[in-house]
Amino acid sequence: MRRVAVIGVGVTKFGLHDRSSAELFAEAARDALTDGGVSAGEVQALYYGNVVGGETEHQLHTGPQAASVLGIPSVPTTRFETACASSHAAFRHGVMEIAAGVSDIVLVGGAERVLNVSTAESTEYFAYASDAIWEQPLGLTFPGVFALIARAHMQKYGTTEAQMAAVAVKNHRHGTLNPKAQFQKAITIEQVLKSAYVADPLKLYDCCPFSDGGAAVVLASEEVARKHRKPVWVLGSAAASDWMLLGDKRDLARVPATERAAAAAYRQAGIGPSDVDVVELHDCFTIAEIVATEGLGLFEPGAGGRAAEQGLTSLGGEIPVNPSGGLKAKGHPIGATGAAQVAEIVTQLRGEAGPRQVEGARRGLTHTLGGNTATVLVSLFGRD
Amino acid sequence: MTEPAITTRAFFEKARGGQLTAIRCGACGELAMPPKELCPGCHARQWQPVALAGDGTIASFTVIRVAPRAHAGDVPYAVAVVRLKEGVSILGRIVDIPFDKLAIGLPVRFRPLIAKDLTTSVGFGPA
Repeated sequence: MRRVAVIGVGVTKFGLHDRSSAELFAEAARDALTDGGVSAGEVQALYYGNVVGGETEHQLHTGPQAASVLGIPSVPTTRFETACASSHAAFRHGVMEIAAGVSDIVLVGGAERVLNVSTAESTEYFAYASDAIWEQPLGLTFPGVFALIARAHMQKYGTTEAQMAAVAVKNHRHGTLNPKAQFQKAITIEQVLKSAYVADPLKLYDCCPFSDGGAAVVLASEEVARKHRKPVWVLGSAAASDWMLLGDKRDLARVPATERAAAAAYRQAGIGPSDVDVVELHDCFTIAEIVATEGLGLFEPGAGGRAAEQGLTSLGGEIPVNPSGGLKAKGHPIGATGAAQVAEIVTQLRGEAGPRQVEGARRGLTHTLGGNTATVLVSLFGRD
Repeated sequence: MTEPAITTRAFFEKARGGQLTAIRCGACGELAMPPKELCPGCHARQWQPVALAGDGTIASFTVIRVAPRAHAGDVPYAVAVVRLKEGVSILGRIVDIPFDKLAIGLPVRFRPLIAKDLTTSVGFGPA
């Protein structure tokens, strides 16, 4: 297999936009191509993440639509849908295509637009990623899924609502350092704890927002990447799945797909959790960050809540998690999230993250979770 | 045998009458619910239907206060993952139990929830 590098990244501001998801992707892709020193004509394939375009924009066939709006209508393109992990799945596909020698330059990314519909509508559309026969008719929501996980984690390990709140406070603090973040305002533990319940024990400030936005990444073979000023190497990229139904999950306090994807990615890279300097992970809800830090092996199972409370995952801490502000503060345009996480890690490993730079970061990790924990992707990155 | 041991449709028809049905693998003994084509334990296809008693305990629960459109009129409502005494678990709506009495480990009993259009979903009430 050939080595693969990221040579270009681009991300729109996350938040409310008055443009289509394809236009948001095109903005991010244009920036990524410029960043990579690659002309649009050199792109050999586009893999694109988009989730609820059919519902919020009445738009299917979003791969060629995005390619057309960008201005590269003739490249082969496929839309990936793995719920919130869609553009990480697109990324992994691009990595494999270059590693296999099929292409030398591949554009991957994604975009989402949901703020053009009401919260009740977007809550319904996101719930489509749970089972339509066994779970949606009961009124299960995504805050509901993670509330069930949170309650199980609290029962098994003694995790507290204050520990979950510490994740929100930390990610909002990081968000103040990211000009592209949807929320650039610090919050306090008290604000989180006093916010209204969405699905007990999760409160409004435990939840990431609905967001519009786009993100793009240019992948290249080693031969192409060697000409770039600062290639960031893909050391590993792995996917794992798990049961769709919550009732089939044996232990709600853990996410086996995270554990399996992480184990496979670490094995590919030949490194372990202690070798990672900076992490962007899927904090769709505060409990999701706590469970992910455990599943990725950064902390023992059950220790993630205390680690967050002790500041171990803050910028300047033992292992900085979500310096971008994470999904919580940066925002979560679900089709774009996986690629946006890659963009942050690449920026960190280039040493170009400004006030949120993790000093001396050499190796980074991205973790993206799809919906009801049935999809997880983990990728590892390193610089020369 | 080409017919499934129980279809989703048959599951809900039995559920409407108050009966939860699981399937047991004739090759390895694995118990599963809802219906699946192959045994996730051994990949055999030798399912036999098994009637469950309907008794279980709450494995986790939440009270949903922001709902999808179709359930907006129901809020707040509780859902729970219930571990049935035979060993399988399923998500259900909690009915007739005050929110402040909900707890992991609380015994509950299956109760079919039948909508006006006669569609049935899984509910659990007091044991």
